Amino acid sequence: MKNPESLPQPDPERPAPKKRDPIQPEKIDFTKLDLTIEKVEERITPSETNVFDK
Amino acid sequence: MIQREGFPITLLFPPQGHFTQPYLALPCLKAWLTAHGFPDVELVDASIEAYDRLLTRDSLERARELSERRQTLADFESKSTLPFRELAAFRAAAESAVSARALIDRIDDAKRVLRGDGFYDMERYVPAVRTIYHALRLVSAAHFPSQLTPHNFTMRYGLDRSADVLAATQDEVENPFLAFFRTDVLPRLVARRPRVLGMSVIYGSQLIPALTLGRLVKEALPECHVTAGGGFLAYIGAKLMRAPGIDACIDSVIFHEGEAPLLGLCEALRDGREPGQVGSLTWFDRSHGPARAVENPSGHPIKLDAAPVPDFDGLPFEKYFSPSIVIPYDINRGCYYGECTFCTLPTVIGPGYRTRSARTIVDQVLHLCERHGTRNVNFITDCMPPGMIKDLPEELIERQANLRWWCDARVEPKAYTLEGARRLYAAGCRKLLFGFETATPRLLKMMKKGQSLKSTIDVATNCAEAGISVTFYAMVGFPTETREEAQATLDFLIEHSDVVREVSLQTFHIDEVAQTYREPEAFGITILDDPSADIELYHDYECERGMTQAEAAEMFERMMAGLARHYPLFAGDNIFYFMQKSHYFLHLARDITPEDFVGRCRVRTRSREQLEFDPALAVRSGLSFAELPFSYTQAAAKLAHPLARSVRPDFLTGRYVAGAEAAAERELGELAPARRVLCYDRDEAEFVELRPDGRRLFEMIAARGSTGALLGEVDSAPARDRIRAFAAELHRLGLLAPQSTGTRTAAVTP
Repeated sequence: MKNPESLPQPDPERPAPKKRDPIQPEKIDFTKLDLTIEKVEERITPSETNVFDK
Repeated sequence: MIQREGFPITLLFPPQGHFTQPYLALPCLKAWLTAHGFPDVELVDASIEAYDRLLTRDSLERARELSERRQTLADFESKSTLPFRELAAFRAAAESAVSARALIDRIDDAKRVLRGDGFYDMERYVPAVRTIYHALRLVSAAHFPSQLTPHNFTMRYGLDRSADVLAATQDEVENPFLAFFRTDVLPRLVARRPRVLGMSVIYGSQLIPALTLGRLVKEALPECHVTAGGGFLAYIGAKLMRAPGIDACIDSVIFHEGEAPLLGLCEALRDGREPGQVGSLTWFDRSHGPARAVENPSGHPIKLDAAPVPDFDGLPFEKYFSPSIVIPYDINRGCYYGECTFCTLPTVIGPGYRTRSARTIVDQVLHLCERHGTRNVNFITDCMPPGMIKDLPEELIERQANLRWWCDARVEPKAYTLEGARRLYAAGCRKLLFGFETATPRLLKMMKKGQSLKSTIDVATNCAEAGISVTFYAMVGFPTETREEAQATLDFLIEHSDVVREVSLQTFHIDEVAQTYREPEAFGITILDDPSADIELYHDYECERGMTQAEAAEMFERMMAGLARHYPLFAGDNIFYFMQKSHYFLHLARDITPEDFVGRCRVRTRSREQLEFDPALAVRSGLSFAELPFSYTQAAAKLAHPLARSVRPDFLTGRYVAGAEAAAERELGELAPARRVLCYDRDEAEFVELRPDGRRLFEMIAARGSTGALLGEVDSAPARDRIRAFAAELHRLGLLAPQSTGTRTAAVTP
């Protein structure tokens, strides 16, 4: 689910909403949002596979 | 027996070792000393005590404060690029910013899960282990760039240079164990005033902590003799004792098995004699000016069958991160086979092969299990001898021992018949680990393994059919091995994944006592020496043919990725069961079959992958967010590259590659600025990275209470599809869940 980074970025300084989100969905073009989600897959190093050593 | 009072001895296991079960060496030594007239012996497992102390709310709160003093996200805001050398600090700052509070809140519960019945619930176990891992990253951030993990402790200092090691023992900022020893260990030692402090240094990760404590003790208790032994010192002890300045940290090193040398040392000190007659001991003679290392001749091994039952009394059993203690017990010492060209274990334990009788083993193990309220045993052996494969099960069955146990084994086709394997299962054997090494016959011959692929898989199949879980040790990068041969090993392991449940894969290393080092020409290699590494054990080498060391490291990654695809226990975070010593076994010990357990792993993985969109999906509670100036996942990916890992001292070898940082800077490149949002889910204990747009959409879902409610306000079909896809992915990652399961409807707050 990786999208190009050239898509428009919203203003990161915009304050978070408190209770009710004032954003009106009809004013947003959802198809242009960068909705990439990434998760770190921890890689196992060689040293961590030998868990039975003496 | 002659009682000799007034000679307190403390035997201490320094950080860092596994946190799931106690170690065997010091209980053996305690029993031996007690049986030979030294009744006042105290055991301290400073490794589990350190883990337990560092993983408390108070300690993590202090770690958070220290971490923020050392680096915060704000330090990175104004940077135009992020070079390789700053990636680790950025990652630490990002993780601390988003997860520290949650980790402080959850650490007690995580430890409780691992120590109680929650351990057996996968949905509670995995987040608990993750919480432990992340909390250790917070501890590490406070002492950046030092890293303490469940399997490792490294600092910026290499273990192959004594000046580095000695500097590390006095680094007040980066050595986390200085403060721990001062508050938790030293006051007890000062109160007890032991005449001898004996430390067991099995792993390289223990060297700096052991010398750190040794220095503190020698300053506080000048009359206390500080000695150390154990596997790692068996390799480098002689060099270490020749290193300038080491006499400020220790007084002697014991080689091979410790019973006789330690007893001899204690007797000499008690009687006011110099320890010149104590075999297998190197000690500092301080009688004529500056300390001078004196190397005594090797002593004789003990008669193992006459050794007393190991004495674990005094170890903090309640602190290990397991719901049930697995008692380690050595059935023999040495290896009856002793031919493998890569093996150096005789250096650790000393020459000779000795075994206890099956009757002695069962007598002593039953005593230990009754005393400590467990029936789980880890038989310590290089490989169980063929006679014992028959005798031990018969004794256990006849005595109705009702134990559950696991151990290392060698492929012995005549012993591991189907009938033999069934007898082992009936006697409580639930897991065996065989030295498979490689699927290439040519390499097996070079290794002098003395086993064929067919016999190996026949033995494994018999064990699996009898209900015993089979683990294979495997190796990548043996001299002259090609990529194709390593791939063939992976293919073989995948082909037999119905029989083999775990693979302990290692990259090959050359150490100074192996045949590969002594006869490099026989293996087509040239050893590269580093004159500045005065306590070096492991060496780089060049091959005439086959993979280079770097190529073997890359192949390791490919093989682990292949195993993750085909071994359910290695898929995703199921691998925690493999990585935490004895944790998978503890399920088998409850007579869950390997098939059942692997099936549960498979179901767990698939059930997550198959989660789909649901209009009721809402934001789960317990999420925290931090805005980042660079990508966390990109930083993590670069840091996981083999080239990046070679910048730090390796866990096994304690070495780092000179010039690796410059090479990593050059080849891995810089990170460009990128606005990102890092999310930490305290329930699942996972990090997920979003783009600012994703965070915005997330807030919209939160404000409306459910994804369905948001969709109700959107008319465009393509827009609705994107929202559905986004929500489904977040569902799979655990950030959204159907409303009834721990969700909240309020706006997401940082």
